[in-house]
Amino acid sequence: MLRKSLSICLLGLLLFAVIGSAVQAQTLKIAGLDGGWGREHWDELARRFEAANPGVTVELTLAQNIADILRPQIIARNYPDIIYLAVGSAGGLTDTLIKEQAILDITDVLDMEVPGEGVKVRDKIVPGFTDTLITNPYGDGKTYLAPLFYSPCGLFYNADLFGPGKYQLPETWDEFFELGNQAQQDGIALFTYPTTGYFDAFFYALLTQLGGPELFNRAMNYDVAAWGSPEATRAFEIIGEIAKYTHPNTVAQANVANFTKNQQLILDNQALFIPNGTWLPNEMKDAPRADGFEWGFMALPKQSKDGDSYSYTFFEQMYIPKGARQVDLAKKFIAFMYTDEAAQVIYEKAGAVQPILGASELMADDDPNKLFYTIYDDGAKASMGAFAAAPPVAGVDLASILFGTIDSVVNGDVTVEQWQKDVVNAVAKIRAAIDAQ
Amino acid sequence: MKQKGSKIFVYSCIAPALLLFAVFMIYPTISVFRMSLYEWGGLSARRTFVGLKNFKVLLDDRFFLRSFQNTVLIITLVTIITLSIAIIFAYILIRERIKGENFFRVVFYIPNILSIAVIAAVFSAIYAPDQGLINGLGRLLNPDTWVNIQFLGNPRLVVYSVIGAMVWQAIGYYMVMYMASMGSIPTHLYEAAQIEGANRVRQFVDITLPLIWETVRTTLVFFIISSINISFLLVNVLTGGGPNGASEVFLSYLYRQAYNNASYGYGMAIGVVVFLFSFALAGLVSLVTKRDVVQY
Repeated sequence: MLRKSLSICLLGLLLFAVIGSAVQAQTLKIAGLDGGWGREHWDELARRFEAANPGVTVELTLAQNIADILRPQIIARNYPDIIYLAVGSAGGLTDTLIKEQAILDITDVLDMEVPGEGVKVRDKIVPGFTDTLITNPYGDGKTYLAPLFYSPCGLFYNADLFGPGKYQLPETWDEFFELGNQAQQDGIALFTYPTTGYFDAFFYALLTQLGGPELFNRAMNYDVAAWGSPEATRAFEIIGEIAKYTHPNTVAQANVANFTKNQQLILDNQALFIPNGTWLPNEMKDAPRADGFEWGFMALPKQSKDGDSYSYTFFEQMYIPKGARQVDLAKKFIAFMYTDEAAQVIYEKAGAVQPILGASELMADDDPNKLFYTIYDDGAKASMGAFAAAPPVAGVDLASILFGTIDSVVNGDVTVEQWQKDVVNAVAKIRAAIDAQ
Repeated sequence: MKQKGSKIFVYSCIAPALLLFAVFMIYPTISVFRMSLYEWGGLSARRTFVGLKNFKVLLDDRFFLRSFQNTVLIITLVTIITLSIAIIFAYILIRERIKGENFFRVVFYIPNILSIAVIAAVFSAIYAPDQGLINGLGRLLNPDTWVNIQFLGNPRLVVYSVIGAMVWQAIGYYMVMYMASMGSIPTHLYEAAQIEGANRVRQFVDITLPLIWETVRTTLVFFIISSINISFLLVNVLTGGGPNGASEVFLSYLYRQAYNNASYGYGMAIGVVVFLFSFALAGLVSLVTKRDVVQY
């Protein structure tokens, strides 16, 4: 009798515990980068999501070194529900998770309704953004990473130096180098770059411009022939030519500690062009500058006057790691990120633009940001994507071989031919690893 | 009976420390060896055993060889330069009774309590091309012909620039250690030598050096370990391994392969090489410098 009543008691306790945990408030853990956009918009988004979903608490962990913070947690199987960290970020966390196939397929989020708007997420996102090798890294038509905060990349310059009676903006590469000679006589270098990492957007746009999107896609899928093609060779040569016109202090300052000094060269009229993204004016907003300085922004020069011009579109991503506890809630939050309400918050608090239809209407006409986002209206085509996911090959760090070598090309230690050869070799090794799988 | 009881007491006192040492030192070290035999990205459960493949790749990896060369160069030069300067300064401060001895002691020691990030910022400013201290001084003395020295941009110079910062950082620490050791040498030895007509250099070579020799030997091992560690920290902040990997050292290359290149197993293979290398080097140095201990 005693035994029976004891077991009933225990069962009751168990039931109570189960029900208790079911009605217990859900907690959505979001971890992400506290980067150039700041964190104010995240706090506000969390607050609004909580208000729209009673019983839900959003736990935000935002840090500059989020990859270092998350790595031990992930190894200990303590996963956040959503990670906001772009492919290619320092620490390589997202890239590693992709290579390890440790990210959840979120294709079904695209068919979810944007909360309160009666439209599917798929139809709200600007076409093209969910067809890239960044969002669909395995090229299998499934989306794993959700695109966020897009920003056209191109060349920034001091608009005050250009115009009638001053320098002319170059349309073609020939004009670009001609301008380089002209500026050299005035003691100004044609070009500088923050770090070689910034050449990703530059190189991708250049490759697309010279060989079209088809060649670009082949190159991003480790097609050895594409990297050895005449168009690719021309891309390497153009950068080799640019190297000769690069400000002599650039390489010494092209590191994490000093890259803003290279950006400062533009503000001081010591160099004319720098490849960068739309966050640059904000990043340098407190820096001293030449009198009359005004930011200008253009796509890369073209091969010929009637050729196509491309601007690479940089965007960040958020995703659900495999092992996340609140998957449904996480998907709901991702859908929420594409509401007009969220886009408004993101633009007002951070100045970042969501890749949704109508997002550019949020910008007032006198907003200096508008200039940057109209680059595609002025005839430049968008280029998007990055290298497809591939198994890691020990000792072959393609990004440092493809972009890092540019420092040596500028220094004159490595020839353009050697550089291309190294890249082709590295691509061939990765191709072999893919084929061996 | 009483002895047995005290034995138990001794063991129970040692146990916690031993346990911590096993969990946090011995187990991770063994893990490094084990993980170096796998192909693994470091985050998921997907790992494959590949035997010694990572080590074979390592032998052909010219970027690794370059980081090896840089590390050996850094260990050698930092040790020689820091050791010489630290001993000489310590000798001067202890023996010459110059004014403001404590002031110099503090000034030399300050770099050691600064964080590496601060040291990197200081040396970024010293090495900078246009506004830098050294280039600025050069331009002041030679306004017409001065061409900026690209301390961090020239691949042939950048390792020496890192070495410069490391020496500056380390001198104070070792100087204080040598001073402590020299301070305990009885002065009557010097007085006797002086009466015998030995000059200061002779006193240094025949009295000071033999009597602090054990301290020097100990610090040599410190030099090896700290050069490997601090060069990683400094390179990461000051140059990021650039330009194009010219300043990459052991651990920065390990880090880049394990994390940025998602080859954790390969990174651990580098870790194994670093472990064996530093162990062997420390053993070798200890063996070569072995002398009969001189006491006073």
